[in-house]
Amino acid sequence: MTDSQHLDRVFSALAHPVRRQLLARLAEADATVNELAEPFEMSLPAISKHLRVLEAAGIISRGRRAQFRPCHLNTEPLEAVARWSDQYRHIWEARFDAMDNIMNTIKSKEERND
Amino acid sequence: MTDLQDWVRLERAFDAPIDVVWRMWSDPTLFSAWYGPKGFSVPVAEMDLRVGGVRKICMEMKTPDRTITMWFTGVFKEVSAPGRLRYTESMCDPDGNIFKPEAMGMPPGTPDITEVIVDLTEQNGKTVMVMTHVGVPAGSAGEGGWSQAFEKLADRLLAG
Repeated sequence: MTDSQHLDRVFSALAHPVRRQLLARLAEADATVNELAEPFEMSLPAISKHLRVLEAAGIISRGRRAQFRPCHLNTEPLEAVARWSDQYRHIWEARFDAMDNIMNTIKSKEERND
Repeated sequence: MTDLQDWVRLERAFDAPIDVVWRMWSDPTLFSAWYGPKGFSVPVAEMDLRVGGVRKICMEMKTPDRTITMWFTGVFKEVSAPGRLRYTESMCDPDGNIFKPEAMGMPPGTPDITEVIVDLTEQNGKTVMVMTHVGVPAGSAGEGGWSQAFEKLADRLLAG
């Protein structure tokens, strides 16, 4: 699988609200399927299906302790996505500072003209 | 909105009337004055301000050795003065042909097309602006609500 194909898989794995909530929960701590299923009105098999999608994309891994197999978040595949988002956030913040300055300049000019 | 993903969402209150903030986005001269990231100027800003109208922006940075230019193009999807503006954006060549992000040294998987949504509301003479910048990855419809997961993930990534 190429990097690009892998990222496609990561993105499509992330493109579901339940799976994003599962990841948000796993960002706090490892958890078993039962623990993960608790906040959802969904069957265990349905939750397991979402976990398999995340596992196939490499975003989570499962422990090998037979009964519990706690899920663990792997952050690496998400870093490229987070970097993209972070970069843009900083650029936009700086832009809006500049916008604010310009509007203040316009305002003080208008006040002088009044 | 449900088919979009909130990759970047920023909210700001400006001490300015809504019409002024709207003009910052829709008047090419005013837009050029703030849009360039640090060190960049915006020598070209073309905006055909109507739904389906094309926009084209050039950002330029002069260094002692060379001049770096970047072109962006897109289409206005929603133009509802002064409350809401929505447009797409892609990197392109000076003729408006869209580049693949990988060809520009962006990480693989970066979306070819992103969308910028600006919502403005006026409250007591101040204007609240919510800017959302989203990308739709190839082959996935997506469903909103990234920000919460991302914030937690970002904390986690920073914590190592």
